[in-house]
Amino acid sequence: MDSSSPRLRMSILGVVVLGCFLALFARLWYLQVMEAPALVVQATANRTRTVATEAPRGRIFDAKGRVIVDNRTSLIVSIDRNELKKVKNRDDLIARLADVLTANGAPIKISTIEKRLSEKKADQLQALPIASDVTDEVIHHLSEYAEDFPAVSYERKTVRVYPYGTVAANILGYTGHITAETLKILEPGTDPDGVEKSYQPDSIIGLTGVESTYEKELRGTPGIELVQVDSRNRPVGTESYQPPKSGNDIQLHIDIEVQIRAEQALVERLNVLRGTAQRDGTIRGAPAGSVVVLDPRDGGVVALATAPSYDPQELASGITQERYNQLQDINGASALIDRSISGQYAPGSTFKIVTAAAALSNGLIDGNSSIYDDGVYRVGNPVQEFINAGKEKYGNVNVVRALTVSSDVYFYWLGDRMDGTTLIQDAATAFGFDKRTGIDLPNESAGYVLTKAKKKALSKKYPDAYPNGDWYTGDNVQLAVGQNVIVVTPLQLARAYAAFANGGTVYQPHVVWKILRPNSSTTDPSDVLRVIEPVVTGTVTLPPDVRSPIASGLEGVTSGLGTGASAFVGFDQQAFPIVGKTGTAQVDGKADTSLFASYGPALSPKWVVAAVMEESGFGSEASGQVVRRVYEVIANHALTGAGTATNGSRD
Amino acid sequence: MLPQSISSRASKLSRRDPTAPLRHIDPVLIGCTVVLSILGVIAVYSATRGPGPDYSKSYLYKQIIFMVIGAGAMVFCSVVDYRKLHDWAWAFYGITTALLVLVVSPLGSEVNGAKSWFSLGPFQMQPAEFSKLSLIGVLAFLLSEFRGDIDIRRLVALLATAALPMALIMLQPDLGETLILLAIMMTIMLVGGLPTRYIAVLTIVGLVGVVGVLNSPLLADYQRNRLTAFVNPSGTSKAAVYNIEQSQQAIANGGITGQGLFDGPQTKLGFVPEQRTDFIFTAVAEQFGFIGASTMLFLYGLLCYRIWRIAQVAKDSFGTYLCAGVLAMFAFSAFENVGMAMGIMPVTGIPLLLISAGGSATITALAGLGLVLNVYMRRFQ
Repeated sequence: MDSSSPRLRMSILGVVVLGCFLALFARLWYLQVMEAPALVVQATANRTRTVATEAPRGRIFDAKGRVIVDNRTSLIVSIDRNELKKVKNRDDLIARLADVLTANGAPIKISTIEKRLSEKKADQLQALPIASDVTDEVIHHLSEYAEDFPAVSYERKTVRVYPYGTVAANILGYTGHITAETLKILEPGTDPDGVEKSYQPDSIIGLTGVESTYEKELRGTPGIELVQVDSRNRPVGTESYQPPKSGNDIQLHIDIEVQIRAEQALVERLNVLRGTAQRDGTIRGAPAGSVVVLDPRDGGVVALATAPSYDPQELASGITQERYNQLQDINGASALIDRSISGQYAPGSTFKIVTAAAALSNGLIDGNSSIYDDGVYRVGNPVQEFINAGKEKYGNVNVVRALTVSSDVYFYWLGDRMDGTTLIQDAATAFGFDKRTGIDLPNESAGYVLTKAKKKALSKKYPDAYPNGDWYTGDNVQLAVGQNVIVVTPLQLARAYAAFANGGTVYQPHVVWKILRPNSSTTDPSDVLRVIEPVVTGTVTLPPDVRSPIASGLEGVTSGLGTGASAFVGFDQQAFPIVGKTGTAQVDGKADTSLFASYGPALSPKWVVAAVMEESGFGSEASGQVVRRVYEVIANHALTGAGTATNGSRD
Repeated sequence: MLPQSISSRASKLSRRDPTAPLRHIDPVLIGCTVVLSILGVIAVYSATRGPGPDYSKSYLYKQIIFMVIGAGAMVFCSVVDYRKLHDWAWAFYGITTALLVLVVSPLGSEVNGAKSWFSLGPFQMQPAEFSKLSLIGVLAFLLSEFRGDIDIRRLVALLATAALPMALIMLQPDLGETLILLAIMMTIMLVGGLPTRYIAVLTIVGLVGVVGVLNSPLLADYQRNRLTAFVNPSGTSKAAVYNIEQSQQAIANGGITGQGLFDGPQTKLGFVPEQRTDFIFTAVAEQFGFIGASTMLFLYGLLCYRIWRIAQVAKDSFGTYLCAGVLAMFAFSAFENVGMAMGIMPVTGIPLLLISAGGSATITALAGLGLVLNVYMRRFQ
């Protein structure tokens, strides 16, 4: 072959050129046909930015249809930092803006604006809010002299309002900006149309209470604008826009009137008691307490009061360390704990219905079994003495009378007889103690009911706190009167009484009743998206021969010789008979924990009211008084039909 | 022999002379040239009219003016018998080389760090473009004189002739144009009968040279990055990779049918740099899609095929070498420019002839095609 032949060399050149073109075609095919889908996604991501507008959150109604959390519009003045860079007299502009805001009722310092502007977090595409809740005058001025305020914009944003102020704050919770960590793990819900309620770095989420547990319902569907940007990230147009949609409304079992009364009664009673001496001379600290109102028929939570309390708005909008420390020590108690669901107390005598139920249902006693109560019960060797409160002697007592007059000796005797078994603990578990109730609020405590095995395990695990891991008869005797080896939350206590009241059904307590359509009317049944159905978590077997003696015993408590009678003087029990039990739990070196658990009306119970007050003394003089004041509102409603104005009457 | 029927209808001229040049115009070559030129004008307008609504038309008008001047140059280069260009080749080479010296002097203007232009009022002239044509002329002349009898002395003469403008262009610096001159030189020497052993030696020296230059301090970092970004996207600077990525995304965004004229978001929003010149192919590909872009490449290929074919049927070796040089100029520009936009060739600033905006390149391209037409028209004389 002659490689110098001109013809061959032209052919080589031709082949090379042809090869080049084939390579170009192949690559073009690859890019535009084969790889196009993947590359186009990249390209689109490159030239579009998502700008999200937060939607209004759903409103919250009480059981009677009253709005207890609403939204309002707040006027917000913002500065676009991209635009600001182009402004010649930047400092002058900011000074003038500060002047306009200050002159029109929204005072702000130049340094405050500068500080906001230097924050790095916000998206450069979105205008940075400088002042919120400005007056209409500010907006008028800014729109009138728009050309004097380049880069300045204003918008209306919806924010939460609470028509009842801080009432029910522990239930409702508050909202705030999502944190970076939460943003990563929080799964967005979907609206009724199935659209995902996505989160952005500046999204508002529920941080505590119902706002947090029903975040998926309450959150609105953000408005999503797909903004086309050029290579310098400047917006040039809109590719698509989906307007924001309000979140679902929710209706609670809470009756705001009962809630208000519970909070007031609790705080007032604590204030009255604080600093006074209880029967044995100990000064009452009366720092804290809580009230729980349940519907025994379905576990609906009608009220949950806790004291001391705080204004959630304060926390939501940022708080100083000093104020935070203050909140953690109000008369020696932290305001940040919802005691109704996370406070843990020895139940004292209120626990006796469980002991009685255990003894009766296991045939240890019947309604007439009686002993002689001389004020002291002795067990063990060496002998250990357990006495009645106030060293009272009640003489012959059966279970009915023992409950009414609160004879500890009778229950010490039952505790002694059931020593070596877990009969009391088993009954306690059946009534729902020793585990969380599963209420739809965060940070609930579980309480505990110790057994021989559990005490041993506890001692092994924490030898310093529980040096003695042995179970003594004395432990069982104390357990029988709700002391020493048991703590419960006020909510657990109320639920146990609800189970007793309704004949043995243990419900999971629920604050939320219904999920409603966005912008719904509570009177229109078609607006109901979903009703939170009652959940039964267990049952207590309460045949008449078990339930009747206990019920009779409790019925006597609020009248005559009953331990709680003093609290109900003047209350019309003919119309609205109340059944309850006082409790006075001893705390070393401090005044007693005062407890009162009750239900009413006696024969067809619709309400369970329980109150627990720390360092407040005898059951009836503290908690009994508070419970009575709550019943005043309830009985008034039940008897007159008042407070059912709007709808959704629950009785 | 021409059929009787044609000669009976033909003009006076052709009746007198069946070998007359005007009887042998290549309609395919002219057709491809016209269609590509129109496409180029549209593409330039699309890439430069801005976001509107006050669309800028200055580049559009300029490009039309260049096309008209280029058409004049094409006619001129086709009517004067190319064999007479023998005598003019050295003069033209001398002029363009002198301009290359002047452009790196203070007389030239610097744009983007390269002294490649003379400012002439609203226009700029880029002498490197014209030097491609002058190099084709002198190399074709020399090789046709040597008649395949090339020894070391003659090889050195050839290399020196090519090396002078290449060195001057590297001073600007303009790597892309230097590479085109290299491609032209290699092609003409291949076709012009350079012995195989020299070709082999030159290829090896060339490869060693490329590797050596890439690893030497002769290149600025940005140049090295641009050149190697296409083989090693992760190891190079972000900016170099960015351009290639954006360009490929824009091309992909065109899909099969394209986004439509003036409707390429990636190119329109400025994600692709240098759209009217180095990256003009992305504008075409995004707006007209695979159908449009492949049609354009096909026309380009057809044009190259005609040039190759004319090189073969040329009456003499001078004509063949001229055509081979023009073919190298077109084919290499297209391969490098389009290949760069698609990420299979290094990033160097080379215009896509007839499509990219630019007076010097357009006029040179059309003049080169005029020469090819010239050779074809006179293949029987």
